[in-house]
Amino acid sequence: MSGLSDESQPEPAVAEAGWRPLPPRARWLFVAGNVSALGGLAIGLLVPIGLLLRDTPLALPLALAVLVVLPGWGVWLALRQYACTRWRLDGHGYSLRRGRLWRHETFVPRSRVQHLDLQRGPLARRFGLATLVVHTAGTRHNAVSTAGLAADDAEWLRDQLARWIEHDDDDA
Amino acid sequence: MTTTTPEPTPQEAPADRRLHPWSWLFVLLGSLRQFLVPLLVLVVFGGRRDEGYQLVAAGVAVVVLALLSVWRYFTYRFRIEGDSLVIRSGLLERSLRQVPFSRIHNVELRQTLLHRLFDVAEVKLESAGGTRPEAQMRVLQLGDALALERLIRHRAGSADDAPDAADATAPMPERGRTLLALPLAEIVRLGLVSNRGMVVVGAAFALSWQVLPENAFKRGFALVRSELSGYAEHVNGGWTSTALAATGVLLLVLALVRLFSVLLAIVRYHGFELREHGRRLTVERGLLSRVRSSVSRRRIQAWTLREGMLHRLFARRSLSIDTAGAQAGTGEGQARDAPELAPIATPDACDALLRHLLEGLAWPPQGWRPLHRHAWLRLLLGDVVFGLLLGAGLCWYFGAWGLLGLLWLPWGWLLATRHARFAGYHVDARLVAVREGWWSRHWRFAEIDKLQALQLRQSPLDRRFGMASLWLDTAGAGPMSPPLRMRWLALAAARALRYLLAREVARRPLRW
Repeated sequence: MSGLSDESQPEPAVAEAGWRPLPPRARWLFVAGNVSALGGLAIGLLVPIGLLLRDTPLALPLALAVLVVLPGWGVWLALRQYACTRWRLDGHGYSLRRGRLWRHETFVPRSRVQHLDLQRGPLARRFGLATLVVHTAGTRHNAVSTAGLAADDAEWLRDQLARWIEHDDDDA
Repeated sequence: MTTTTPEPTPQEAPADRRLHPWSWLFVLLGSLRQFLVPLLVLVVFGGRRDEGYQLVAAGVAVVVLALLSVWRYFTYRFRIEGDSLVIRSGLLERSLRQVPFSRIHNVELRQTLLHRLFDVAEVKLESAGGTRPEAQMRVLQLGDALALERLIRHRAGSADDAPDAADATAPMPERGRTLLALPLAEIVRLGLVSNRGMVVVGAAFALSWQVLPENAFKRGFALVRSELSGYAEHVNGGWTSTALAATGVLLLVLALVRLFSVLLAIVRYHGFELREHGRRLTVERGLLSRVRSSVSRRRIQAWTLREGMLHRLFARRSLSIDTAGAQAGTGEGQARDAPELAPIATPDACDALLRHLLEGLAWPPQGWRPLHRHAWLRLLLGDVVFGLLLGAGLCWYFGAWGLLGLLWLPWGWLLATRHARFAGYHVDARLVAVREGWWSRHWRFAEIDKLQALQLRQSPLDRRFGMASLWLDTAGAGPMSPPLRMRWLALAAARALRYLLAREVARRPLRW
């Protein structure tokens, strides 16, 4: 297969400029989200383990393993997801890059922003974070949501993007 | 009441108007239809006990619904004010809705058989976005409905397009210019190509399973088999006749599916006509219930050209479009199909239609750009996995004969190489186009002005091959229309395209 990957480049240098990471404290938001989801799944899995394997010596170790491994995996995944999330605002629009195994880079052109949402849950407020949702008139990617932005950054972004909407409306 | 005047003059009538006096009946029937199936089940299959009690309850429900419909009729008023339609409605919670004509994307006139008896029509006005139509008038007198449609066409047209004189002076049922009309033979072909009959046969099968006695199918099959074995006896008893019977039943089902498909196509597309009034397109179709929908040409968000295997057999293609109001339908009954400009037409006719509608654009575009040079290998991987699983599964059932399942591999190889060779993309100053498939192919394209968000994607496998895919989002892409995406491009090409399109789309203001 090594012969096939000759066309893949590491990352073009031109694309790297201006990509900004999330603030370090945002990783706790990612961790909290994943641990609660996978922790719930682990607790859910205890039921079939208890029902099906009750009389076998496997039950206790398996239950403990599930309780430890799933949330642990959630933490590891959250840290990776956090590390791979980058956003960028340039003259053409807003970009969001996510994922490491499955990489997605979403771009919303400045002329296509319809409206903006700034969401702040209790946990996000506690850490001074916010979620910015950029809406377009599209179908599949009509709401591009960036969780874990620093509250100041999110507000700055919203103001910048909102200015574009006004600008384009004046044009029309 | 304006509805009783024979020739309404909406332009000079700012007075409040009401729906057709019989409209409550159609509202009632509309709401009854939702209860119809449970009601029928109750009456037909329901237990014999407490029958009177259930019927009384149903009767009370019908009366209450009828009263509500009448009340709704008396509270629904609309009027035309300048360049917008003002609708006041609501039973307890009153609402006033102002719909500017320039914001209306689609106008749909629907006439079921019952509507035609009363000479009325249902009017639906859709704007971009939202899940429900902007206004749904159930029902207007046919003349009124046509006048309203024409008014919208003119007012909306004058806002952004040059109105054409021929349109303004045309007599009442304006003809416009016919771009495509389907004779019966074409509709029969359309039926043969489509698979709509599958739904009917499936439903009939499911229903008969419920209704017929337990072993009817088994006995029916045994009957077919014994009949056939009469002919096949001299060959070999059990095995052959079973195979023959199975084949016969299969052929019968296939024939039924085709037959129902043709019937449904005739009901749906009888008298299909695509017409052009200035810059608006109007599609009219239907045998029993006539539907007439009209959309402005520049409201078209994306295009899909399809050619399945059966299409190719008849040398035909089909052309459909996305409009921004087309997501509507999750609320009211069934989801709407994408509007079809040409349900079936020869490839040349499709191309000519596209060239005409895209105003001087070269279609089919010259110079399709290819995918990554290993795209066929990437495509083949899926087929290899499937072929191996198929072989393993068949071996498990039939022993060594299951190895025949591996015959999928050469077929998969053929599919993958042909697909990779056919697929490609094209980008020019106005249009982004993608073509995919081989066995059944489609072309999907949109004007760059109509693009929304872009997404560059890379799966682990893509990364291994140095590939990426670019997804382009447009408004109004229904669940049935294929996504506008370029898969298995070389990473560098995908990136270059993403930056090119990003710059272009950001530069151009959104024009619905």
